[in-house]
Amino acid sequence: MDRSSSQSSASVPAVETGLVYWHGLAAIVMLLVSVAFGILASTELLLPDLLRGSVWFSWGRLRYDHTQGILLGWLANAFFAFLYHAVPVLTGRPVTSVRLGQWLFGLWNFAVVLPGWMLVLAGFSQPLEWAEFPLVIDAFVVLALLIAIIQFLPPFFSRGLEDLYVSSWYVIGGLVFTLLAYPMGNFVPELVPGARGAAFSGLWIHDAIGLFVTPLALAVIYFVIPAATRRPIYSHFLSMLGFWLLFFLYPLNGTHHYVFSVIPMSAQKGAIAASALLGVDVILVVANLFLSLRGAGYFPRDLPLRFVGTGTMFYLVVSIQGSVQAQMPVNQAIHFSDWVVGHSHLAMLGFATFAAAGGLTHVWQRIPWARYNHRAMAWAYWLLFTGVIIMVTDLTAAGLVEARLWQSAAPWLDSVRAARPFWLVRTLSAIPITAGFVALLVGLTTGKRGAGMDAVRDSIGVEPIQEIAPRLAPALTELT
Amino acid sequence: MSRPVPSNTGRVLRMSYLVAGVAGLGFFVLSVLILGVWPGRVLEEQTRRMSPEHPLALTASEQRGRAIYAREGCAYCHTQQIRYLAADAARFGAPTLAWETRFDYPHLWGTRRIGPDLSREGSVRAADWQFSHLYSPRSIVPDSVMPAYRGLFDGAPDRPTQEARDLLAYIETLGQARQLAGPEGEARARAASHNMELMEVASPVLNASPAMTRRQGDHPQLGTVQDPGRGMAIYRRHCAGCHGRGGEGDGDGASGLEPRPANLAEHEYTRDRLSFALWNGVAGTAMPAWRDLPVRDLAEVAGVIRAFHGERGEPNLPAQVLELGARVYSDRCAQCHGEKGAGDGWAVRELRVVPTNFVAERPSLAESLRALRNGIEGTPMAPWTGQLSEAELSAVAYYVRGFYQPDGLADR
Repeated sequence: MDRSSSQSSASVPAVETGLVYWHGLAAIVMLLVSVAFGILASTELLLPDLLRGSVWFSWGRLRYDHTQGILLGWLANAFFAFLYHAVPVLTGRPVTSVRLGQWLFGLWNFAVVLPGWMLVLAGFSQPLEWAEFPLVIDAFVVLALLIAIIQFLPPFFSRGLEDLYVSSWYVIGGLVFTLLAYPMGNFVPELVPGARGAAFSGLWIHDAIGLFVTPLALAVIYFVIPAATRRPIYSHFLSMLGFWLLFFLYPLNGTHHYVFSVIPMSAQKGAIAASALLGVDVILVVANLFLSLRGAGYFPRDLPLRFVGTGTMFYLVVSIQGSVQAQMPVNQAIHFSDWVVGHSHLAMLGFATFAAAGGLTHVWQRIPWARYNHRAMAWAYWLLFTGVIIMVTDLTAAGLVEARLWQSAAPWLDSVRAARPFWLVRTLSAIPITAGFVALLVGLTTGKRGAGMDAVRDSIGVEPIQEIAPRLAPALTELT
Repeated sequence: MSRPVPSNTGRVLRMSYLVAGVAGLGFFVLSVLILGVWPGRVLEEQTRRMSPEHPLALTASEQRGRAIYAREGCAYCHTQQIRYLAADAARFGAPTLAWETRFDYPHLWGTRRIGPDLSREGSVRAADWQFSHLYSPRSIVPDSVMPAYRGLFDGAPDRPTQEARDLLAYIETLGQARQLAGPEGEARARAASHNMELMEVASPVLNASPAMTRRQGDHPQLGTVQDPGRGMAIYRRHCAGCHGRGGEGDGDGASGLEPRPANLAEHEYTRDRLSFALWNGVAGTAMPAWRDLPVRDLAEVAGVIRAFHGERGEPNLPAQVLELGARVYSDRCAQCHGEKGAGDGWAVRELRVVPTNFVAERPSLAESLRALRNGIEGTPMAPWTGQLSEAELSAVAYYVRGFYQPDGLADR
């Protein structure tokens, strides 16, 4: 991991390209494994006796591993890869230590994700949404998150907080709040029973997305757009307003996962109101991002920019959908149905994955010795885009059909039968999605070494990092 | 990156970020307080006031069963949270109260319902049904998508391992605490509830499982068959798993059940008898109630079942055979099956499974003899070969068939 970047210059320290590379590679490999869990689980809904009652690969265990793999294996690794590039660029300072980075990499992949998967398959797990890995793994996650904070945050603090670009805020907020929220979601329900524990669980279900995935995905989007469009973000004021509103409102959403439950109605209503407000905030954030993308085209030549642009669009749709489905009249019908499964795929596969893939590609192109295959990457974009649209549309429709049957007097199994054709389409949508992820792997591991830079030159033109950095330093450009 | 920063603005900004940072942390703490800690206190108080004085805790076996339920992700398809909504209550029963979850470490509420909610699953189905269903769900419920949990069995549905028995023990606890709390418990909960509006959503019955009282009232009069094709489709979907495609009691799910599913092809049933069994299930057997099907569909299914037997020629019997049969019957059978064969003998109240009512159903001669010779496993009907001669067996087998009162001709 000692091959250093040629991007080092007087003002921007070397990016630890080795760590970028390894986290990026781990991210995609784990993504493919997580997707395999998902495909197998979805196929088992169509052919329940496919594996003849296999214990290790029964539906429940695959379902646990699927979502934990996407959250911790794919997204977290992709975000770490991005941070090894972004933190030095944003702060002008190196990350704390390469040695620590190797520890983080090892812990995250070999003490968290891999053993977590195996333990779940072997029957050691926790029946809590977004917290399915067993407690022993949770301890390592907390340790690793602590290391990540030590690794990535000191450069921001030593530089001073007064003129930080918005991505920096999202990185700081994301890492700090995840460290706070993770134990709440993973440990508290083990200690606090039933409905009381569920209240905390509901908070974590939302915080996993709102305080970990969303901030880091937005950090990527806010980083890639100005770096690729060669313009500063449209309004730093809106950026910061969006950031703080997001961090105020996101944690207050959690209880909307248990509407019409025994949890006090005022808490439910508060969370529902916060959910509506969050939609408004996201409109602010996305308006700012779209205004920054003016002139870049709907499908920019620069692939990372295209990925994050589409991710931004998905972010808008999924957030407004979320605000709507938290409202009681909607929630009462579609809660517990495939609509919600569609919603979470729009969030994780649409918004977060597109942002993470964009961020990963952006930093990968800038590793001078890494391979890069532009054609495969372009395929990856279109295959994923097609797959997400098919899957989410299909699951949303399935949810509406299920909701209608549940409201009627029809026997329960009618809703299962009615869902079958939709489940088939969902499983088939895995074909373009998997092909897209394989293309992503091919795009980052084949092709000429250094072809990433060629692609950058071909689309937006290569600039020295010193010229990108000022666009990421709002306070300076706006205030002087 | 040493660029000049206007000092005043810098200071103000530094302050504003400090304020905002504290506020951000504050909002997180606020969220934990108002959406976690405060609801927790309300729920704890509610639990204290609404819970019966001695709520049912889980035994060691039930605890182990709960761990299996958790590790297999059961909660990811079956919620354990009935919402305060009429649609939920009608389907699954009274909405979940906080105190019912007081021993759930961690909770198993779930966020997706692929299968039905299980909050009130306890004592709804027979153990052999549950085991056969866990072993091979589609043999019992043909269109189910539930995984088969063969790993919990020693090769056959009637050979559950300790794990399967623990899991069933846990399933049997679901809703039991509330059931045991009884009317006093409900009254106490109602009196202590801060939120009467919520209590009003409560279902008319605690347990609205189809096997209990999804639709209340007596079993309906079933009309005549309108659409045999539809009847067959419903039969295949719901009944064939156990009773077999031809009604011979030999479906895929039959092997794990005790008593075995009825051989519908070897019995004649009155329409009323079928209506009763479909509406209420058959106590002491795995046969569930089918009240959640429309009455029209029940009539179609009854038509299909009656057609399995069809019209068959009946032998004419010499009078002395009937006399012998009558004597044996009143000596040996009437105490359970009743003097008039209506399944209402004086010993009935001692029995786990109700004796056959020969007035409403007539076994074929072969079936009748088989039951007399072999008994019916899983029921109090014992083999009679040791105690009755071959002639007596045949005579009583003929005799019991004489009680049957078929539906009127106009009724057919």
